[in-house]
Amino acid sequence: MAVQTRRFLLMVAGVVAFAAIVWASRFDALPPAEMSFQNFSDPKTLDPHRATGEPESRLIFSLFSGLLEMLPEGAPDPDTGLQPMTPQPALASHFDVSDDRKRYVFHLRPGIQWSDGTPITSADFVWSWTRMLHPTTACEYNFQLFSVPFAEEYATGTVTEGDRVEVELWDRPGETEGNEPNPQAFPRGTILYGTLIKIRKPPPPELAEDASEGERADAEATWTEQWVYDIELARAAEDGSVNWNDVTETRSFVVDPSSPEADQSTTRVHGVLVAFDKLGGMEAPDPETFIVNLKNPLPYFPSLVAYYPLYPVPRHVVEEHGMPMWTKPENIVTSGAYQLDLRRLRDRVRLRKNPAWYNADEVKIELIDAMSMEGQNTALNMYETGQIDWVTDPPAALMDELRKRDDFVSAPQLTVYFYRLNTTRKPLDDRRVRRAIAMAINRKQIVEEVMKAGQTPALSLVPPGIAGYESPPGLVPDLDEARRLLEEAGYPGGRGIPKMTILYNTSEAHRAVAEVIQQQLQNNLNVKLELQNMEWGSFLDKVTQEDYDVARAGWVADYSDPNTFLDMWVTDGPQNNTGWSNKQFDGLIRDAASEADPVKRMALLSQAETIWIEDMPVIPIYFYVSLNIVSPRLEGFAPTPQDKHPIHLLRFREAGEARP
Amino acid sequence: MIELAKYLLRRFFWMLLTVWIVYSVSFVLMRSVPGNPFSAERSVPPAIERQLRARYNLDAPILQQYTDYLKGIVTRFDLGWSIRLEDYSVNQVLAEGFPVSASLAIFALVFAIGLGVTAGVISAVYRGSTLDTSMMVTAVLGIAIPNFVLASLAILLFVFLIPVFPAAGWGTLRQVALPALCLGLPVAAYIARLTRAGMLEVLTRDHVRTAYAKGLPKRTVILKHVLPGALLPVVSYLGPATASVLTGSLVLEKIFALPGMGSHFIYAATQRDYTLAMGMVLTYTVLLFVMNTLVDIAYAVIDPRVKLQ
Repeated sequence: MAVQTRRFLLMVAGVVAFAAIVWASRFDALPPAEMSFQNFSDPKTLDPHRATGEPESRLIFSLFSGLLEMLPEGAPDPDTGLQPMTPQPALASHFDVSDDRKRYVFHLRPGIQWSDGTPITSADFVWSWTRMLHPTTACEYNFQLFSVPFAEEYATGTVTEGDRVEVELWDRPGETEGNEPNPQAFPRGTILYGTLIKIRKPPPPELAEDASEGERADAEATWTEQWVYDIELARAAEDGSVNWNDVTETRSFVVDPSSPEADQSTTRVHGVLVAFDKLGGMEAPDPETFIVNLKNPLPYFPSLVAYYPLYPVPRHVVEEHGMPMWTKPENIVTSGAYQLDLRRLRDRVRLRKNPAWYNADEVKIELIDAMSMEGQNTALNMYETGQIDWVTDPPAALMDELRKRDDFVSAPQLTVYFYRLNTTRKPLDDRRVRRAIAMAINRKQIVEEVMKAGQTPALSLVPPGIAGYESPPGLVPDLDEARRLLEEAGYPGGRGIPKMTILYNTSEAHRAVAEVIQQQLQNNLNVKLELQNMEWGSFLDKVTQEDYDVARAGWVADYSDPNTFLDMWVTDGPQNNTGWSNKQFDGLIRDAASEADPVKRMALLSQAETIWIEDMPVIPIYFYVSLNIVSPRLEGFAPTPQDKHPIHLLRFREAGEARP
Repeated sequence: MIELAKYLLRRFFWMLLTVWIVYSVSFVLMRSVPGNPFSAERSVPPAIERQLRARYNLDAPILQQYTDYLKGIVTRFDLGWSIRLEDYSVNQVLAEGFPVSASLAIFALVFAIGLGVTAGVISAVYRGSTLDTSMMVTAVLGIAIPNFVLASLAILLFVFLIPVFPAAGWGTLRQVALPALCLGLPVAAYIARLTRAGMLEVLTRDHVRTAYAKGLPKRTVILKHVLPGALLPVVSYLGPATASVLTGSLVLEKIFALPGMGSHFIYAATQRDYTLAMGMVLTYTVLLFVMNTLVDIAYAVIDPRVKLQ
């Protein structure tokens, strides 16, 4: 290399290095927020119809409002300190329920607005619920609306001959006949309504015997797209209502135009679904009234309405920007106490008070940071140095110390930790073995020596603390009985019992619990278990494929009702994964769903739980407690059964006390 | 100059080839591990999972997925939408995380080079003294102690005992100081040892003796005649050092709650976020390739005997 080149490059290197240092030292520092808290991981999304976990829910409950909202009501429980939460009017000022508990009339507050000033009307609810259920939205909580007629058929895309259906033509923005579909399902293409008279199906695909479940599902889906639908189109009136008997013409529609059943006159469409929003499940007689007609008298329907998947989303913004761009801070429009100011990955989501909220005067904190922070010690360090005011996930290793502190807020929570048993494998297919194992576990030792945060031993499935529900007497731990059962099952003294493995996802806490149980069963029953830990994705795969003996799990209440813990164990339920099936149990759950009398319904659920305890397809281990560390300068924070803490209720003890 | 341009062109070609191989291997590995991006404790109903697969083109035949995604990257630099952080495209995730990681890496490297070279020179010049011994013992410790232990100690010391730095977070120079220190210290230790060894070797050379004999002041001899030669091993170490600073930040980002790229790397893999994981792997590949090329050029600049090939 020539000397000049070398000198030149040396200079370039110097300049670049200097520039890099200057660039790296430039920070655009954010003004500090008044209050900030640990929000665990990054929110997956801020779309209420797509979100699931805890971090998302804390933000969405602050950003959006529903007809009803879960808010504290009444005095805290004197024993546990739990603050009861009930669904209370929010965007709706009040609601009426019919005597048969199937018809809910919600009256919206006058003058409610989105944060950009657009009025919120009953039509927003009709549209939002339709979007929530629409198959392409793929909302994981869509089952929460399945008590509305035709909601389930709409969400799953089930149509049968004779149904009143909607047809979405292939004319979404940018679509022409024969080109690629526009992936944005909203705004929708032209919708036609009519009665489905016939489905013409080509011959079903033939699959090899050994085809996997996934291959079968794919082939089935491809085949369904080739179905040709003959529909008698009905006339839709100006006001959106459909006169189903006024038939204008009969046309045929298909999703995949290459279908052998399709001909020249067949029109390509996005899909044929039941006309959910035209069939009386929801009514919007005027902009301030929203009516819901249910199939079954669901006693906890108000709780569902107060849960975010049923909150309205701003149609004008979703249709303009599409999914997921509408959730960006520059686009999003909200209906809740806060609006989205800033969102930085792995850093924070900044909330700013929404002056257009109906109850804005009650919101005392202007600017809040939800810090995306998973490190337990990091969060505690930041709390100790005054950088954050609320720790949602305190370090387990310091529990002994933390529990003694005044700012440690903890109470029983509607969450259960349990071990699934694979009831299709020997020896766990024998109820006696399952019960023997469940009886021989010393849960007290686990909660006191391993968990240490005040968890309570679980001997039944449903955690205590649900109003109106009393769990049946749980399993009675009894070593002699356990040994007797094992002997009766043909394994006297644990001899001859096949080798079993406890599967858990990699985590210190899960390992510690599994080790204690392993030792207890070895000592008490002479049953030998192996431990196997797996990283989360692989673990879930094993569990869903029922390729395990014993697998750990936890379940958080979706709503404050025993059904949320019980209905997952019905035969072939998507969350069951134990192979357990009990017709009597299934029947009781079904009966409870259609029972109008709340007392009788709880009795049915209690019977179902009794059967579950008798059969023990799953071993309950302990009930969780919520764990929070909250700065003494904040008030309005109370322990609640689902560990939900409406952020707009928080305020500083002394008015105007901001961060020092 | 032409020689350099040719060299860069050749390296660029090799980089493309490397990236393509890395892409293919990652693609196959990612899809052959058990689990999928949609697995969760609450299992997703099959109908919904199918919709989600369609949204991310995961329902296409595997070969078509391979080519579609590659086409997007080549023609539009589009790494697709992240599956797990679904409000973000992979490009947006990178655009947010990269400046933070880069900034942290720059501070750590500057700190490491400054401290390491100074310590190395002093050690070599005062060889055998207590100062030398203590510095080299410190360096050995610095190499041996993993940076998360270092971070815990640093937090204990500088956040709680002597409260000079904030515990965590990102946005001000004071917040960068501790993580950059913890990230740079092991590198500094290594550089100190390399500098010392290099210095000792050069100090015994004839041209140094001549320089002394000419009556040049010690300072001039060290800075002008010894140091450049002694730094060669340090320069060649800068490639791996950059790599270790970039990958070492994974742990520190968690401890100090920094919004860098490192944490995405881990989560993308454990959560089977195919697109984000691919984006991360490719970004790191390109980054390391570029750094190594720069190191090679620097080598040729410092030592005239080295030819670029």
